[in-house]
Amino acid sequence: MSTHTVSTLWALMRRELWENPGTLKWAPAIIAALTLFFIVISLIIGARFDAELAFTLDAIREFANQPADQRRLFISGVLFSTSALFFQFLILLVLFYLSGSLYEDRKDRSILFWKSLPVSDHMTVASKLLTACLLAPAMYLAAALLTQLVVLLIATGYGLAAGVNPITTFWLPSGLPKLWVVLAAGLLVQALWFLPIYAWIMFCSSWAPRVPILIAIAIPLGVSLLQHAWSLVSGFRLPEFNIGLIMLKRLATGIVPTNVNIQVDSESHRADFTDIEFSEELFMNLSTVFSHLLKPEMWIGVAIALVLLAGAVWFRRRATDN
Amino acid sequence: MSLTIRARNLSRHYGRTRALDGIDLDVPSGRIVGLIGPNGAGKTTALKAILGLTAFSGELEVLGLDPSRQRDRLMQDVCFIADVAVLPRWARVWQVIDMTEKLHPRFSRERCMYYLNNTKIQHRQKVKTLSKGMVVQLHLALVMAIDAKLLILDEPTLGLDILFRKRFYSNLLNEYFDEQRTILITTHQVEEVEHILTDLMFIKDGQLILNSTMDDVHERYVEVMAKPDRVDEARQLGPLHERVLFGRHIFLFDRTDLGSLGELGEIHRPSVADLFVALMGDEYNNGLAGEEAA
Repeated sequence: MSTHTVSTLWALMRRELWENPGTLKWAPAIIAALTLFFIVISLIIGARFDAELAFTLDAIREFANQPADQRRLFISGVLFSTSALFFQFLILLVLFYLSGSLYEDRKDRSILFWKSLPVSDHMTVASKLLTACLLAPAMYLAAALLTQLVVLLIATGYGLAAGVNPITTFWLPSGLPKLWVVLAAGLLVQALWFLPIYAWIMFCSSWAPRVPILIAIAIPLGVSLLQHAWSLVSGFRLPEFNIGLIMLKRLATGIVPTNVNIQVDSESHRADFTDIEFSEELFMNLSTVFSHLLKPEMWIGVAIALVLLAGAVWFRRRATDN
Repeated sequence: MSLTIRARNLSRHYGRTRALDGIDLDVPSGRIVGLIGPNGAGKTTALKAILGLTAFSGELEVLGLDPSRQRDRLMQDVCFIADVAVLPRWARVWQVIDMTEKLHPRFSRERCMYYLNNTKIQHRQKVKTLSKGMVVQLHLALVMAIDAKLLILDEPTLGLDILFRKRFYSNLLNEYFDEQRTILITTHQVEEVEHILTDLMFIKDGQLILNSTMDDVHERYVEVMAKPDRVDEARQLGPLHERVLFGRHIFLFDRTDLGSLGELGEIHRPSVADLFVALMGDEYNNGLAGEEAA
């Protein structure tokens, strides 16, 4: 990729940042504010019941004397779970963002302005996909990391009040660098995992005459209902291969924050929890994240995504204001 | 002289309607071409084909490039403004300028600022808070700051007051236009552009019914305000059009012989509007269109 391509893509992604401040800036900021608000509120309520903070400070001292692996599990677990809300909203809002990405400018006719600039349709589509896969996750990750830092700062205050060393009690067990690397890698792998879903929504967005999100939902829903009806009529059984269920399953099996490696046996509808060890390795494990890259479903999905994206570029190429 | 636009048998069908019906076109560089036609005549379709925004059949070359295949390359040298201002409504003025600067290699921020300084547009304002005229002003400032070889203006001054329209055309002519550039304009306000055009095209039902230079138009068409007693005689000569103004009969001729016409009455150069009415045929050839043109 030449520097010109990179600078064009960056200019186009900045456009997305300007056009969608709600999704890309305000939503993560609001989630961070809400998360911290609830933490502070619960601390205030806690202080009401525990007037001199005697129990709280005792508990902290007790915690400081726990074995190191227990401290690590607890701290990194707490920090990990504060990020969960961010990443769930990230998926939801990115789906909505993508559904409008190739539709809004057709609707308000500003596509004629964008098409008057010497930018290829490949670049336009790529910039929107990269916004969904890199820029949006980066914004949400940044907000989640700041939230984690504030949580640790609050804990530091309590630790100092309790007379324990906040560095050894909270900061070192938190394993922040590793946690952040796992989260960042998880978001990247997750974007790759969701690529066929993202590409499908962009594909619908590139040609839908109106409400692309509904069309993107209605088509797989309709197809899977037809499949159901057909296999009930023809073979008196449920279909084995159902496009709607496949898409739903893929959405449900994201990688962060629920990258816990639990295999659900779909035949017996029974989750196999037997070999789960409760350590921070459960969620703080890069090999779990990267193991998704070895699945054939991952690359089948990427291949499908490439076809859909080519379709989106094709429609974008022909799209004008009507 | 190289050709800026070259079209052969350019056609575009929407179902059974022919938006463009086999147009041949040669536009050299350094021209200001007016493409005039009633609504639905195919003006916008023609412009969209030239800009690579619609599929077409036939041959079309713009600046030596095929607009349907080499759009991105073509847009480095072509600018256009669509019939209504289409700047993104969510953006702030400085953001639009910034994006154009980053994405267009031939954009000059200084020139853009120079044009904007003559307006009331604030850089912090959002496009959606600007009035319709201000959006057009902003878009024109952007486009005129781009060093393009072909500028396409589709109803550029729609919704602008007369002061700005005058200034716009004078800027276009004095500061923007030169031998290397070509400007293609469609507009309903024919009177305002007729003095700056070098070439004139009339389009009707997807076909060009006039395609010549302004000099040729002035050579070829002539209006005669006939003396009252020579009206019948004038009619015998087969005028393209006849209208009545203050009781005087005015005939428009595709010039045959100036000498004989001179005896019929006063000879004028017809305005583009009058010529338009005369050539556009029956549905415009009535009193209503005549009044509009007058």
